[in-house]
Amino acid sequence: MLLSRVADNVYWGARYLERAEDTARIVRTYTELIVDLPVSVTSTWEPLLAVVGGRWAFDLAHSEANEAAIVSFLVAERTNPGSVASSIDHARDNLRTTREVLPREAWQAVNDLYLFAQASALDAVDRRSRARFLNRVIGDGQRVEGVIATAMSRDEAYQLWCLGKALERADMTTRVVGVRAASLLAAEHTGGQVYDDVQWMGVLRSVSGLQMYQRATRGPIDGAAVVRFLLFDPVFPRSVTHAVATARAALLQLPRADETVAVVDRVASLLAGLPTVADDGAALDAVMDEVQVGLAAVNDAVVGAFVRSSR
Amino acid sequence: MQRVQALPDVFDELVAPDGTPRPAAAALVEHLRALELAELQERQNLAEIDIIAQGITFTVYSDGRGIDRAWPFDIIPRVIAASEWRRIEAGLKQRLRAINHFIDDLYHDQRIVTDGVFPADLLEHSVNFRPECRGVSPAHGVWAHISGSDLVRGADGTMYVLEDNLRVPSGVSYMLENRAIAKRVFADLFAEQSIWPVDSYTDELNRMLVSIAPHGIDDPTIAVLTPGIYNSAYFEHSFLAQRLGAALVEGADLVVGDDDCVYMRTIGGRERVHVIYRRVDDLFLDPEVFRADSTLGVPGLMRAWRAGTVGIANAPGAGVADDKVVYAWVPDIIRYYLGEEALIPNVPTYRCYYPDERQYVIEHIEQLVVKPANESGGYGLLIGDRATRAELDAHIARIEADPRNWVAQPILALSTVPTLCDEGIEPRHVDLRPFILSGASQSVTAGGLTRVALRKGSLIVNSSQGGGSKDTWIVEVD
Repeated sequence: MLLSRVADNVYWGARYLERAEDTARIVRTYTELIVDLPVSVTSTWEPLLAVVGGRWAFDLAHSEANEAAIVSFLVAERTNPGSVASSIDHARDNLRTTREVLPREAWQAVNDLYLFAQASALDAVDRRSRARFLNRVIGDGQRVEGVIATAMSRDEAYQLWCLGKALERADMTTRVVGVRAASLLAAEHTGGQVYDDVQWMGVLRSVSGLQMYQRATRGPIDGAAVVRFLLFDPVFPRSVTHAVATARAALLQLPRADETVAVVDRVASLLAGLPTVADDGAALDAVMDEVQVGLAAVNDAVVGAFVRSSR
Repeated sequence: MQRVQALPDVFDELVAPDGTPRPAAAALVEHLRALELAELQERQNLAEIDIIAQGITFTVYSDGRGIDRAWPFDIIPRVIAASEWRRIEAGLKQRLRAINHFIDDLYHDQRIVTDGVFPADLLEHSVNFRPECRGVSPAHGVWAHISGSDLVRGADGTMYVLEDNLRVPSGVSYMLENRAIAKRVFADLFAEQSIWPVDSYTDELNRMLVSIAPHGIDDPTIAVLTPGIYNSAYFEHSFLAQRLGAALVEGADLVVGDDDCVYMRTIGGRERVHVIYRRVDDLFLDPEVFRADSTLGVPGLMRAWRAGTVGIANAPGAGVADDKVVYAWVPDIIRYYLGEEALIPNVPTYRCYYPDERQYVIEHIEQLVVKPANESGGYGLLIGDRATRAELDAHIARIEADPRNWVAQPILALSTVPTLCDEGIEPRHVDLRPFILSGASQSVTAGGLTRVALRKGSLIVNSSQGGGSKDTWIVEVD
């Protein structure tokens, strides 16, 4: 007996919280990467804008695309609807109206994080305090996941939470692959990029995937293998394939599965037809766009099935 | 070593005028006197951090935006002896039994009017009488299911009922949260004394709501109806829904079908609702019957209620008895329906409706609090000894123009409880809001929500106007 309105809020609360955590991880990893690379390698912060999105809004607010401006925009600025701070605000706004269906400690953790971000988001602009802020965002996101995993009944609200988390993860991994991996692959072909292994490790770290990649491949870091891992690994939870399968499993437990599962299956079959593009940067970028369109269709089907149709 | 003392000519709940603790508060006062001020302030800070971290808030409107404020809480509790509380509990149950008879009578035969006990023209001018409710017979004859009756104690130690809140009284969630915090602050005292627990309230509420389900429904689906996130009591609505295991719904989540039944819009389709604990005022409940512009309500809800397919608490129209003029008649109402004298007195109230009482009010206005019948939140209220002559004269003119709309009461010196202030522990004025549940049977909270006026000398306990709250301990004394 989950209200449609509450279903909508749980779903979006989960997506926004995941978005905050993922964006924080991408910014943290990129900072570490820049620090690791020798000064002789030209380093730019603009790829971050390309991954997370919002270039247009950024140009409205800032005249120069330097580190401080980009990090401030991606982490702290509320004029950017996709910033870490905005995502936390949206997550809290949505989850505030779902307190009767989520475990109490989950709401408290989200509220804690909100209060912390209100006070400290600008700390992320300075490199010296950046990690401390971003680590807390990531840690609190994991804390909420822990509460949900151990204290929430596997009811409809739980399935919607898993669905929101899985779709956001799939979306974020396709962005990382489509932008970062695609440009690295393109550079490899022209021989332009150096310190490849460091860059590819950065790609994996930005989705918490380095350790699991190393376990899965037991070999050196190789661009095409990284792309295959992030797209197709059947057991890594942030691979696109696994996230899509997770979304599918959640939809099966929810009403109107007959309408919604077909839409997610289209994304799965699109993925299944891709292995050949894994070492071609330009093709990869285009295909990731297609996958994102497919994920957006799943989102629309979910919102349509659970919210609009009960009006 | 803390000074814990009372004001002259005011009753203090914890200490007698000579500074000795009242028996029920002896352990607490001894404990407070043994603590350094810094230690107490540290405990107060920890309590406030808890409140913020748990998101215990109330909402205030500012610039068209709802802003969450942390719930104001003072760690020093108010203590009442269990022996006194048993008498108060009996008095509150008696009061609500009579009030429910009264409401039910007004919407049926109006015997109390025919018998000349309650004046007919007062009823005709009541803004809270709902003609749409005539002839409806809610389960058990109960209309006011959840009542918050405010109690105050005068200088001589007498506990009075100041007003009965029968529409959508709030505060019970804060009573429960205050206890959770106080147990951490004074863990030792809870271990070594017998303090009545308050936690059973939500179970009692659940039992009461089940008891008003439509006939034949043993396992009803319950929903809490909230005006939404911008309501000042949204925290409480959400809290109660959680504790009841009920759905927290807004008007748009409900729909009344052609079968006159109420349904929730769920992700699996429509699902029947049997009992609604509504926290939306009467006039916003159903745009088909009351305010047509209401977006908070549910079109057809009154139709469903009249058809008996849904129980609503409090019943529409229950507010007719939540009125400062009706209040003045409650002792007569108790006598009329129950044949008993009121166990808890009203604050003496002069009814300007009667010429001799009106004359007294006009002659003694500077010693009285003058209140209009149907305004809440202190609007139109005049405190005689704090008003200018011009203000007094203006009120006299308003009383003479519409006497039935005015009552007056002596200015009470509300009792105090020692409270942690910047300067140390100081007495501050308090009231007490217990909650009374009435359904198939009745129950009363163990104590209630103690509200405290944090500003020195102030009598205003509302949280929106500088008021705070305290835990309330009902203590068994051997």
